[in-house]
Amino acid sequence: MKLRLFLALSASFLLAMAAACSRPGVDSEVKRYRHSDDGVPTNIDPLQAATVYSNQIVVSVYDTLYRYKYLARPYVLVPNLAAGMPEISDDGLTYTITLKPGVRFIDDEAFPDGKGREVTAHDVVYSLKRHFDPARVSQGRWLWDRKIEGLNQWMDAGADYDAAVPGLLAVDDHTVRVRLVKPFPQFMNTLAQGFAAIVPHEAVTAYGEGLGTRAVGSGPWKLERYTREQVRLVRNPDFRKEPLDLAYEGYDAALHGHLGIAHLDGKPSPFVDELWIDFIQESAARWASFTSGREIQMSGLPVEQTDIVLASKDPVALKPEYAQRYHLDTGPEAGLVFTVFNMADPDIGNVPDPQRNAMNRALRCAMRDAFDWQQRNDRFYSGLGEVFPGVIPPLLAEFDATLSRDSVTHNPERARARLAEAGWTAENLPTLDYGLVASVLGREMAEEFRGYMAAVGIPPEKINIKSYATFGDYNRALRTSELPIMGYGWGLDYPDAENVLQLFYGPNAAPGSNAANYRNPAYDALYEQSSVMLPSAARSEIYRQMNQMLIDDCVGILSLSRRRIALWHRDVLGLPDRQILGGFWLRFVDVK
Amino acid sequence: MAGLGYLIRRLATGIPLILGVTFISFLLMVYFGPDLSFELVGKNPTAEQIAAARAQLGYDQPFWVRYAAYLHEMVTFDFGRSVSTGQPVRGLLADAVPVSLALTLPGFVLGNLLGIALALLAAWHRGRWLDRSIMAFSVIGMSISFLIIIIVFQLLFSSRYGLNFFPVRGWDMSSPGAYLYYVTVPTLAIVFVSLGYNTRFYRAVFVEEVGRDHVRTARAFGAGAGIILWKYVLKNSLIPIITRVMFSIPSIVIAGSLLIESYFGIPGAGKLTFDAVTTGDQPVLKAVVSLTALMFVVVLIINDLLYRAVDPRVALT
Repeated sequence: MKLRLFLALSASFLLAMAAACSRPGVDSEVKRYRHSDDGVPTNIDPLQAATVYSNQIVVSVYDTLYRYKYLARPYVLVPNLAAGMPEISDDGLTYTITLKPGVRFIDDEAFPDGKGREVTAHDVVYSLKRHFDPARVSQGRWLWDRKIEGLNQWMDAGADYDAAVPGLLAVDDHTVRVRLVKPFPQFMNTLAQGFAAIVPHEAVTAYGEGLGTRAVGSGPWKLERYTREQVRLVRNPDFRKEPLDLAYEGYDAALHGHLGIAHLDGKPSPFVDELWIDFIQESAARWASFTSGREIQMSGLPVEQTDIVLASKDPVALKPEYAQRYHLDTGPEAGLVFTVFNMADPDIGNVPDPQRNAMNRALRCAMRDAFDWQQRNDRFYSGLGEVFPGVIPPLLAEFDATLSRDSVTHNPERARARLAEAGWTAENLPTLDYGLVASVLGREMAEEFRGYMAAVGIPPEKINIKSYATFGDYNRALRTSELPIMGYGWGLDYPDAENVLQLFYGPNAAPGSNAANYRNPAYDALYEQSSVMLPSAARSEIYRQMNQMLIDDCVGILSLSRRRIALWHRDVLGLPDRQILGGFWLRFVDVK
Repeated sequence: MAGLGYLIRRLATGIPLILGVTFISFLLMVYFGPDLSFELVGKNPTAEQIAAARAQLGYDQPFWVRYAAYLHEMVTFDFGRSVSTGQPVRGLLADAVPVSLALTLPGFVLGNLLGIALALLAAWHRGRWLDRSIMAFSVIGMSISFLIIIIVFQLLFSSRYGLNFFPVRGWDMSSPGAYLYYVTVPTLAIVFVSLGYNTRFYRAVFVEEVGRDHVRTARAFGAGAGIILWKYVLKNSLIPIITRVMFSIPSIVIAGSLLIESYFGIPGAGKLTFDAVTTGDQPVLKAVVSLTALMFVVVLIINDLLYRAVDPRVALT
């Protein structure tokens, strides 16, 4: 019996040792970069490249006409597949874009002989038309909706791909001409998004919806494997050999010297053979995987690790033991979080009766005064977020650091005074629904909100917490104006304040992105005026006025930009940045 | 012939079960599942675009029409494509189910075998320190959350704070070595968490059997512990063992282990199902529900046949 037990234990031990030693072989010849992300790219068809996770894959395997410079901040657009910046007519309506010649799609069975053909202007036209094909669901259509001459009419007429769209023409194989309905200064930014990635029609015909998990592009990488846990990309050997010009990309030795990328200057990218991207939503597992060395870069530091890893929060610095192992990059996120009131809700928004209108405004302003942004930041964002008035976040060039901070200062006395002055009492206050996606964090935030309100005399029972099982359900509630009070987050699509100011443009009201249903003719007029202007001091001034209107009307409790903290092992040479629906940096990364 | 008749009768009685399960599940999916139409239309949709998305998803159809379509899909076992990724549902399941099986089977088998062995020991030494120690261990195993076990095992075996012998995440079955490398820690976690439940359950069964007259008689005749436990206790306890094992099979094959798959990044059926629930991917959910219901019917039949095989007194009626 004892012998049997001994044999069994020995066998178990040997099996465990064999398992531990059976690590799959690592090919030392292969240079592999590996990182983890906190979300999953559910669909990598450019039509669905709506998340940072999808977008970074899409811009890696497909080409876009333009991209952002690798290192320059604020972000600067540069040609990618385009041979140069576009020729823009004097009226700002016609863009003529020339493509680089000789760029080829990867070899794929979708092509008649399995060999990738040249990317032409017709592919650019086809790829943009796809978004307007009623038979397909596109998350990017809104970018160009009613903005390109004839494109909406083409859609309404049945989307015949052989039919020409007057405002979207391939003049020849290497020239695209786009004619806009009205000036759209952010048009070029939209051409740097994954939505604008160039897809060959052969791939769409061959794979249809299958393009959600496979890719036939002309980007620096080829998709080797897609699962919901991991994407593997391999270098596209036929990618155009363009030497990296660090100075052109915004390299500054003082800022970027520590990245160890100077030796890459003049060499054609990509610099590694393979990219493996793991999608790990559970932060504990993501952190364990990163610190074990399996991933060499992670998308962001989990909040629960902040105090363990950081030596200081202002400025953000790592503890020595972590600084020895990891690089750190930090800065405000390209986005913001805030709370808005439903201005179409008679209980809290705009109403025809002037007296009630004034009461509602007082209520909104009182709730804003009651809210303690500093405490929200400390409790939920490790004190690393940046609270700012209005909706133009610190990352943008139009951010006004001189704007009064009165609207983001906790002022319970003034909140109580506003309520009393307007005639609100605990009895006559309306009961308001506060929506959230069901989660512990969401619940905690809602309870904290209720606590702030209770402190100024708005009883907890007057704030009804309404929980939604999934983000999809919450999104539906926003789009159908179900809620009087809504938590909101916005990631920038392009580095221009127009992208956040459009959140309050009247015609964008629900089901559009203006979930607050804010309708202010003066604001709308300024928006329409600025929306056709190129960046200038005059446009910034209009933006400032619009921002101030939102503050004065107490449309919401505005705003906070979270701080992004990226960590990567010292073996990695590069500057990770997935913001602004980015991912272009992946073509420049190197490993020791 | 009687066996064939029994089989047909059981399959026929399985149809209402499948219809009931699919109907209730579909009702929940339609009326309580996430609405994808607002997800698919981008940031500034018009009411027409939302209506078009709803039509594409079939949301504009009456419930009964959608349920009839579901039944048709079930009969043909063609559930179309995943709404999230665009992949064929059949292909998704064909990829995920073998992974779940390969992931959970070693832990399931080991957990049950060890559970039976420990339960036999405990039952034989009932009331003594060995029994108490095994039961204390079982209670501890049952008391610790599976999530905690996963995180602790990851720290212990797969991180720089522990042995760092195994990967935190991933899956590879390209060779036996790679499979062992990836399956070891999940298997240990599954065994640890299931051992407590299994041991307690099997001990209760064996204790009852150990107290029976024929076991006492065998002891009186001087039969050894091994013979008694193996020949008289275990054999006579096969009915509850079969029941427990058989009813676990559908969840092993289809549901996999959500927590294990999520935390170890393993592309199995559990994660696929969970993602489908949270994203409202109805084609995937419909396939999983159908397959699970169908498997339960098959398991019930096999279960009855096994009862008959181990105990000839059981009649197939």
